[in-house]
Amino acid sequence: METKAENYASELIERQWLSNKSFEITLSKPTSFEYMPGQCIRLVHDAIERDYSLVTTPTDPNLALCIRNIEGGILTSGLSNAPLGTRLNFNGPHGYFTFRPSARPAVFVATGTGSAPFVSMARSGVTGFTLLHGVSSRADMYYASVFQSTAENYIPCLSETGKSSHEFFQGRVTDYLDKNLTARRYDFYLCGRREMIRDVTFLVDERFAGSFIFTEVFY
Amino acid sequence: MKIYTGTGDRGKTSLFSGQRISKSNERIEAYGDMDELNSIIGALIACFGPQRSEPVGELQQIQSDLFAISAILATTPDSPAMDNIAGIGQQHIQFLEESIDRMEEALPELKGFILPGGHPTAAWAHVARTVCRRTERRIVCFLDASYKMQAPDLYQRVLIYINRLSDYLFVIARYCNHLYDAPEKLWQK
Repeated sequence: METKAENYASELIERQWLSNKSFEITLSKPTSFEYMPGQCIRLVHDAIERDYSLVTTPTDPNLALCIRNIEGGILTSGLSNAPLGTRLNFNGPHGYFTFRPSARPAVFVATGTGSAPFVSMARSGVTGFTLLHGVSSRADMYYASVFQSTAENYIPCLSETGKSSHEFFQGRVTDYLDKNLTARRYDFYLCGRREMIRDVTFLVDERFAGSFIFTEVFY
Repeated sequence: MKIYTGTGDRGKTSLFSGQRISKSNERIEAYGDMDELNSIIGALIACFGPQRSEPVGELQQIQSDLFAISAILATTPDSPAMDNIAGIGQQHIQFLEESIDRMEEALPELKGFILPGGHPTAAWAHVARTVCRRTERRIVCFLDASYKMQAPDLYQRVLIYINRLSDYLFVIARYCNHLYDAPEKLWQK
């Protein structure tokens, strides 16, 4: 499905803090707005534009975005304080980071709020994937329940010190891929920090040759 | 968004359909030349004065078509990613042919080989024409290497479009000299 990006007006309905660093905002959904799971919208607020992936499904009555609160970030600090009812304009949908079923197993790799497009995909019915989610602490595993019920393997990769447990892997997502994932061809979907995307891409070239890679750079 | 990820630092790149391939692959050569062609058409557009909007709008439409063709070349035909790409159809080819016919009506009859040059717009159009021909050869190399004689239809239409675009660029070079009253120099044997 090809969707053309248009300008829309929306309203801030709800804000929920997911951790001390991230929050989710719910926006009213314009009637004519359509998107695919994994796509993002470009929020325009006080003349600043930023792209955010939707965590909702196309059939949900509203739109929701997961936002990392960046200290000193002009848009994020505005969004973290804006009163409910604030009018927010956006343009979209944007991006091609959508799930493309194939015979190869899907491996989703995210860092931080880069899990957002995978939340939308999972809520929209995508199942049976492996998800490696690089987070700094257990407090950042706020979408665990979504993935526990949809993923074949949900593996949070924690960078905080400690030992691996049945709940998470201690180390970076690249450490897990290098040591634990069986070498074969996969469809890799990478979303998050560009350093992660670069490192995983090189690892795929070396260890999982013939795999397909789809990427969305967040920050 | 940051422009760089560094994923191409070791000589490979990702296709839109997800495969990782060497930057020396014929497919990459083909859409690399397409990028060069598009940029040269941009240089041609930049040479038109503000009062010449007619060729500019047409050339910008061609630039958009070339983006679509680059996306087609960067995607394997059987990929679901192809659903996101606008194809090249008969209407795009017809657009070029009608424009060629319209410009030719305004031009004097061709009486020999023309030396590339004249007004800067015409000179750039000739550069674009030669790069267009090279791009066409690269696409044929890619199709020969990948599909032998059985290239999918969408690639066949790309070939027709690029072949017609070379003709268009030849005619618009002449048309530019006509617009700016620059004399055409014929080849003297």
